[in-house]
Amino acid sequence: MIETLGFFATAWLDPSLFLLTALGTFAGIYIGAIPGLSVTMAASILISFTFKWDVNEALALIAGVYVGGVYGGARTAILLNIPGAPSAIATAIDGYPLAKKGLAGEAIGLSTVMSVIGGLIGVAALAIAAPLIADFAIKFTSRDYMLLGIIGILLVGTLSGESFAKGAFAGALGVMIGMIGLDPMTAETRFTYGSINLMGGVPFVVAMIGFFGVAEALVQLEHVDTAAIKQKVGRIVPSWADVRRYLGLGLKSSGLGTLIGALPGTGGDIAALLAYDQAKRSTKNPDVPFGEGAKEGLIAPETANNAAVGGAFVPMLTLGIPGDAVTAIIIGALYIHGLKPGPLLLTDTPHLFWFIVGNLTLANIFLLIFGLTGIRIFTKVVECPRAILIPLIVILSAVGAYAIQNNPVHITWALAFGVIGYFLKRYGFQVGPIILGVILGPMIDANYRRAMIGAQENIGTFFYDLLSNPISLVLTCALLFMFVTQLPFIKNRKRHR
Amino acid sequence: MKPTDTLRPGERLFALLLVIFAGYAFWESYEISGFRGLTTGGVMPMLASGIMALTGLVILSDTLRKPRTAEGGIAGLITYLFPLRVVLFTLLVAIYVAVIPSIGFLAASGGLLFVTIWALWRKCPLPALLIALLSIAAIYVLFRVVFQVVLPIGSFWR
Repeated sequence: MIETLGFFATAWLDPSLFLLTALGTFAGIYIGAIPGLSVTMAASILISFTFKWDVNEALALIAGVYVGGVYGGARTAILLNIPGAPSAIATAIDGYPLAKKGLAGEAIGLSTVMSVIGGLIGVAALAIAAPLIADFAIKFTSRDYMLLGIIGILLVGTLSGESFAKGAFAGALGVMIGMIGLDPMTAETRFTYGSINLMGGVPFVVAMIGFFGVAEALVQLEHVDTAAIKQKVGRIVPSWADVRRYLGLGLKSSGLGTLIGALPGTGGDIAALLAYDQAKRSTKNPDVPFGEGAKEGLIAPETANNAAVGGAFVPMLTLGIPGDAVTAIIIGALYIHGLKPGPLLLTDTPHLFWFIVGNLTLANIFLLIFGLTGIRIFTKVVECPRAILIPLIVILSAVGAYAIQNNPVHITWALAFGVIGYFLKRYGFQVGPIILGVILGPMIDANYRRAMIGAQENIGTFFYDLLSNPISLVLTCALLFMFVTQLPFIKNRKRHR
Repeated sequence: MKPTDTLRPGERLFALLLVIFAGYAFWESYEISGFRGLTTGGVMPMLASGIMALTGLVILSDTLRKPRTAEGGIAGLITYLFPLRVVLFTLLVAIYVAVIPSIGFLAASGGLLFVTIWALWRKCPLPALLIALLSIAAIYVLFRVVFQVVLPIGSFWR
């Protein structure tokens, strides 16, 4: 117990970790708030130059950026009606009308306090649920991990994209990119075309920088002339009466957010939208109608999206399946440091698990401090024109891609992925499944081959094993369920209802 | 992201290109180890490219059902997919990547920043130059000094 507390307090007691968490949270608020910059983009660039650091230092910075970034999106949603991040889309619906009434400061203050409450509940759920799930996940075999990997990729594709086919295509494309290089089992070359650079494979960070950073920069060029809106900011710290009044709704939204966040493939954006919908249905008599500045409509999504952060770490740390795009990047960071997220992470490296729990708690404390201060300066920073931001994103992407292995070829690859990502985005494809495919593809490949070798290369035995083992059966059913629910006639029926 | 009811300019052609690409990827995957066994290095690439081909066909069939937009044709495609701003920006970035080995990372990045900020911002060049110089100084301090990343110097300066 004392040992666990020691692990938990690592980030609190070590001055450099303490400062990195503070710096990450502070930077995250601004990154999340500035339209055109996303937490995913920032985390992918950060990994490229923190991979030489100690794992705790890298995680402290990235986790801080994650917590701050999920919250930061709300600020521009309230002040400018431009959600800085997808998780703040629902926040803008009632946040901006509040700002137009001259209550921008109050709206930001209330969203900060409720975000912190949601964030802490998410972390508590992580601390309680993760060890239980990890104990269970030890029973997983190779075929179960193969199924989990496929489910992870497809969930991101189906929940965030335009269509199941596009999500599956993007995921499979990511798997193909992940296959480039030497086969780790037989040393055969795959898609290398005689290039020495390709033999080492495509570092997923390069793919991430290209698909998230460069592609987003190209898409943002369309909005380069959009002018920023200016708002007045009054009182910021919310009244105790307001906090007490909305605490019940905050707790309910936190529970929902944690649950949604824990589902692989979902994240703060879906959690926030569902919580907003739930609040709208369950609030009988709001002071102001929803959509016109109801505080309930601001609190529900803000609490849920921050609670989803803790939730998203549960499948990542226990099963090795990312909860969302940012945790997919954090998985990458752990791999870079020689750690393998999954059930054994908690037994082999409990210090790391409790460090993450302590670090996320600390980041939430910093969120409260930074969230309630410096808002007036902040309003000036978010007015930074996209004409300056976009070229900076491209330069940072280039240096980030280069820094991984000091290889200039990686800059070309990142930019090529950026152009491909631009085309895909223009036609309604999500790039999240591609990145998950790059990361999880080799894991699916290795586990598939282990499972098939276990079945003595007999396809009948392989499928019999899938259906006879309870865990594999549940996962196979989940996979089939995902396919069935995406069939056109089922979708049409749902829409009709 | 909600699906659009009408066809985006060039969407059908794009879907067709995806199917062709998936077919090519399947052929390349087959070339790795053929159908020699169920645990060879080519099995997963074949499965992935097979899924790409199948879903590509579904995407293509979806585009066949959607009505065309009013802004269709080559002009619509160029406006939608290749706006002048995106094309010029991408060209500048391509030139930037090409000149890094000769003039080095910092000079190339500074040049790209100055030109693109000036062109996109459409204000007098002095603030763009100042922002570019400050950004390059910050990148140098952060990456070269703090994180000790050896940035490409460029053959011209050697």
